[in-house]
Amino acid sequence: MDLSEEQILTLAPDESSKKSGKDLANPSKWVSKAISARALWGECQGSGSKPYQTQVDLANLAFKCSCPSRKFPCKHGLGLLLLSARQPGLFQPSEEPLWVSDWLSKRVEKEERRAEKKESAKPVDEAAHAKRQQARQQKVSDGVAELLLWIKDMIRSGIHALPAKAPAWWENMARRMVDAQAPGLANMVRTLGNTNFYRTDWQSECTEQLLRIYLLISGYQYFDQQDPLLQADINSQLGFTINQEELKEAEGILDTWLVLGKQSSEDQGITTERYWLFGATTRRYALILQFIVRGQGAQLSLTPGLRIRAELVFFPSTAPLRALIKRQIQADTNSDGQGFSNWKEVADSTTATVSVLPFDGPRPYIVHRLTPVLHGQQWWLKDEEQTLMPIKENFRPIWKVLSLSGGEPLDMALIGKDRTFEPIGVWHDRQYKII
Amino acid sequence: MTTPWNNILHTALLGTDKQSLRAEELGEDLSPMAEQIVTSDKEEKFLQIAALAFNYRQAGFIPQHKESAQLSKPTPEDKPYCSPQAMQVLADVLEEENTALLALWLQLCRNSGQLARPEILPALLQRCITHKHLREDILTCGGQRARWLATLNPDWSMLPGSEDSAEQQWQTGTPEQRRDVLQQLHKSDPARALEWLQATWAQEDVNSKTDLLRSLSASPGPIDLPFLEGLSVDKSKKIREEATLLLKRIPASNLIRKYSEALQQRLKLKKERSLLGMLSKTALEIVPPADGQELSPILVQSGIEKLSNKKEYSDEEFICYQLMSYIPLDFYTSLWQKTPEEVVKLFNDDPLGKKLIPALVLSTVHFAEPKHAVPLMQFSSTFYLDLLPLLQPQQQEFYSNKFFATSPDAIIQYSTRRETEWGLELTESILRHASKDPYRYSKIFFNKIIALIPVGATAVLDKIQPDTLPAGASGNWPSISDAIRTLLLLKTQTIQAFNK
Repeated sequence: MDLSEEQILTLAPDESSKKSGKDLANPSKWVSKAISARALWGECQGSGSKPYQTQVDLANLAFKCSCPSRKFPCKHGLGLLLLSARQPGLFQPSEEPLWVSDWLSKRVEKEERRAEKKESAKPVDEAAHAKRQQARQQKVSDGVAELLLWIKDMIRSGIHALPAKAPAWWENMARRMVDAQAPGLANMVRTLGNTNFYRTDWQSECTEQLLRIYLLISGYQYFDQQDPLLQADINSQLGFTINQEELKEAEGILDTWLVLGKQSSEDQGITTERYWLFGATTRRYALILQFIVRGQGAQLSLTPGLRIRAELVFFPSTAPLRALIKRQIQADTNSDGQGFSNWKEVADSTTATVSVLPFDGPRPYIVHRLTPVLHGQQWWLKDEEQTLMPIKENFRPIWKVLSLSGGEPLDMALIGKDRTFEPIGVWHDRQYKII
Repeated sequence: MTTPWNNILHTALLGTDKQSLRAEELGEDLSPMAEQIVTSDKEEKFLQIAALAFNYRQAGFIPQHKESAQLSKPTPEDKPYCSPQAMQVLADVLEEENTALLALWLQLCRNSGQLARPEILPALLQRCITHKHLREDILTCGGQRARWLATLNPDWSMLPGSEDSAEQQWQTGTPEQRRDVLQQLHKSDPARALEWLQATWAQEDVNSKTDLLRSLSASPGPIDLPFLEGLSVDKSKKIREEATLLLKRIPASNLIRKYSEALQQRLKLKKERSLLGMLSKTALEIVPPADGQELSPILVQSGIEKLSNKKEYSDEEFICYQLMSYIPLDFYTSLWQKTPEEVVKLFNDDPLGKKLIPALVLSTVHFAEPKHAVPLMQFSSTFYLDLLPLLQPQQQEFYSNKFFATSPDAIIQYSTRRETEWGLELTESILRHASKDPYRYSKIFFNKIIALIPVGATAVLDKIQPDTLPAGASGNWPSISDAIRTLLLLKTQTIQAFNK
């Protein structure tokens, strides 16, 4: 695996880990270091009497370290990987020591045990499960009715009064939705409350979000008449979870998936990582979500530009996007992407999606040969057909996109919703560069 | 313009209590469908119609066709891009926020005739805002693309691009920008700088005039004389003083000529007999002006004090001392037909001369004359630290090592101003001294001067172990030492990246 330093640093859980990892990317910190076809390992002299044993599974990009840190990957794992990227010559190919080969074998065994466990799992008490579901549905129905009433009140008196509302007003309704066991609706209410009321066109942004909520509520009110896939979308938006172990039982899609981008956000101690993937053969896009509770380790380590050979299972949806990694076979860094030829194709694809899923969120797109241009004091991306799409307002990395472009067209990976798009990566000199 | 969506927003803003949304307001595409929405609940009707329009809007988006939207392209580069390894080091240096290593990287990149790759240019151009001294190197290493980018971002408009932009900044820039532009131009084209300055002089206020005069202090020369000497009658005292300071820096000025004449009247050589009249030697003497003339008022106005404020100097000696501080050493060589070495020896061997040698040192530093710094170092019995920066690097190294034990902090201070790397011996002395005073010589200190520390200093750091340190220092030094090692590693990688 040949990761760039930028890609390795993207794996860091926070800024201080980045800094510490860089400090440890120094040969003098490592008592020993070596590499094999499967792994990279080293011993780092820390504050303890014994050096910490750090190891990286190169096939699946997984980390393990004997240090007491709760961060994942820890600074030692990052430091070791950074050092190997900076000075690969320092790592002599060697036979794996016992502590490395043991860990790698345990990882395989763990996978096997997990599979066995699934087979021998206790049968679910269907009657009790159905009763619980019915109770929850009732709560959600009540919550949805309350929210609809709230929205209608808002519409009756006009949204002009909304900018003056205190944060507690929005949060109160969001909590009511949490109590109604509809956390998805709670998030949608919070997004509505987070509308930038200082923008001149806040009315449009606010009305659009109100209508998204209304469409979801309407969909739920006629739930039984919906297509089963749309029912799954409605449930997912409301916040009903799907048993991921059960989902993994379904047949997945094996492909070489390019990690287009990673977006992280933190709320109330939970970090949400969004990995946007693109399948080289199937030309499908996927979104992998990872939730990390503060202080607990993450399961997944992906970095933009990385290609993973993996089987993905998509969550049921009319326009499937969210997926799970059922199994990961290997990782590589050669990246290539076949996407849309122009904005018309993107618009057609968006139309197809929103016609079946009107409350859909942002989606990734790869679009070929886009050139950044300045038009009417705003930055746009122009395709080969001379059509324009605006870049998200205040998009700070525009200068990096411009510099890489130099006025020439670039293939780009973008995340888009509605009418604005945000580049997350570009292909420059046949290499995928993170924006 | 009234659009269906605007009609919806208008109703949403006012509220359905005040205004209802009518189906015909949605335009011909949506009206027929909207008319089918029939309910007595006004809010429900509005939400249904608006939801219909919302989905129609988001599904039916047609990208704007605009052939005229174009962007200029940068001129193609005529230099190759640096290696990925060099780029990686640059990214690390930028991440470390180490300006000294960034300057080194840029210098090596420039010298190797290579360019930084496009993806890093915005980060480099951003550094131009705060690090003015790196601007030129950043633009050189950024190539045509950096110049092109700078024209697109208003934050980078201050970058030196063309003569026009400099002139524009002079005419319309902030006081700081005008001062910088004038200073730069005065170094490269003093005649043009004076032309600019004189053209706007009458419109400037006193503070601006003083500031602008100060910007000439980096490179005052004979060409400035007519203008500066004209300011000696300016009605503002501040301006007169600033002009006098500049005139004192120009050996050909009337002021320095007057100083020289006054000194020539007072400081004389005389022959003395010694060893029972067998040998004669040349001695210095101060002779008050024959006609009993007092010090000229011009000299007094220029800052020469008539009365001594140092007890070891008489009034006449003190006047000579002050005059000598502003007279170049060449004055004595031509007056007495002696070489600089002979002049220094003469002062050093004479009791009166010994008292006046510090004035020779001051003048040498004042006029930054390296050729006179060497004899002053060689033939004077006192070590004058102020002369160190005027010496050649090897000489600076030699004298720094020689006198390090006597004035370590002062020598470190001067060594940080050097432009070339320290030798290993001096580095070891400095690091050992710094390890005993980690509060003064902190990570910040080493961050600034890492370019001066040779990469071989890692071995020196290995020698300085915590058990050899004083109690107070042992806690902080290891982390400082680690920080220096990290910087040295980056420095090594920078050098290696351009050695290939």
